[in-house]
Amino acid sequence: MHRITPGTEFHMKVRTTRFGEVEIDPTRLLVFPHGLLGFARFRTFALLQPDDRGVFYWLQSIEDPELAFVVTDPTAWATGYTVPIRAGELTELGLERAEDATIFAIVNRRDGAITANLQGPIVVNAASRTGIQLVLSDRTGSTRHELVRLPGTAVAQSA
Amino acid sequence: MLVLSRHCEEAIMIGDDVEIVIVDIRGDKVRLGVNAPARVAVHRKEIYESIREENAQAASLRGVLGSLPGAPSMAHQRAAAISSIAAARISA
Repeated sequence: MHRITPGTEFHMKVRTTRFGEVEIDPTRLLVFPHGLLGFARFRTFALLQPDDRGVFYWLQSIEDPELAFVVTDPTAWATGYTVPIRAGELTELGLERAEDATIFAIVNRRDGAITANLQGPIVVNAASRTGIQLVLSDRTGSTRHELVRLPGTAVAQSA
Repeated sequence: MLVLSRHCEEAIMIGDDVEIVIVDIRGDKVRLGVNAPARVAVHRKEIYESIREENAQAASLRGVLGSLPGAPSMAHQRAAAISSIAAARISA
């Protein structure tokens, strides 16, 4: 009997609207027990990495080929950005320390700019591959933190 | 909707383990205290709604964002940590 370990050649094909059929490593799926806000039905995602140097990733739903979010590492953009993770949330993620969490922000296009939602960050336990989207109650971050102002209208619209 | 009148420092119970206390009333502002187990998420509704709306809009995003001008490069350690979570590489 095979045990599937990360990095092995075992792959699973996932249908996606944006990228066609993608071969993913099934040991690296991320599970969001509550889904994301407004998308509670979709629990299982794969993080897709476009290239080595990029700071953007896609969080692709396994259950819905159409559902995918661009995410980024918010700390690369907003120095000093930290996420206050409550004790109950740490427990739920199976994390002992907040510093061990991997943080993502969902990216959006708003009013001619690429923005990141720092008010509702995604917190992942990389070891257990569990994630939750937090709702930060204090107004430390914005839901539309501007990352890049887009020049003119020639936005990266087409894939 | 159930509507209850409460005085300052009075409380209501929701189920066995959620308590909402009227802490202070000043003019049109009421300060509420919530005692709830850690598993119960408590949010200001407008923040919750704004994040939900942002998610809905973000889900319709298309296109390649990898080569945006002005994008920072990531610290090597963080990039490696995120790569270890990535389930696949895509050429997009």
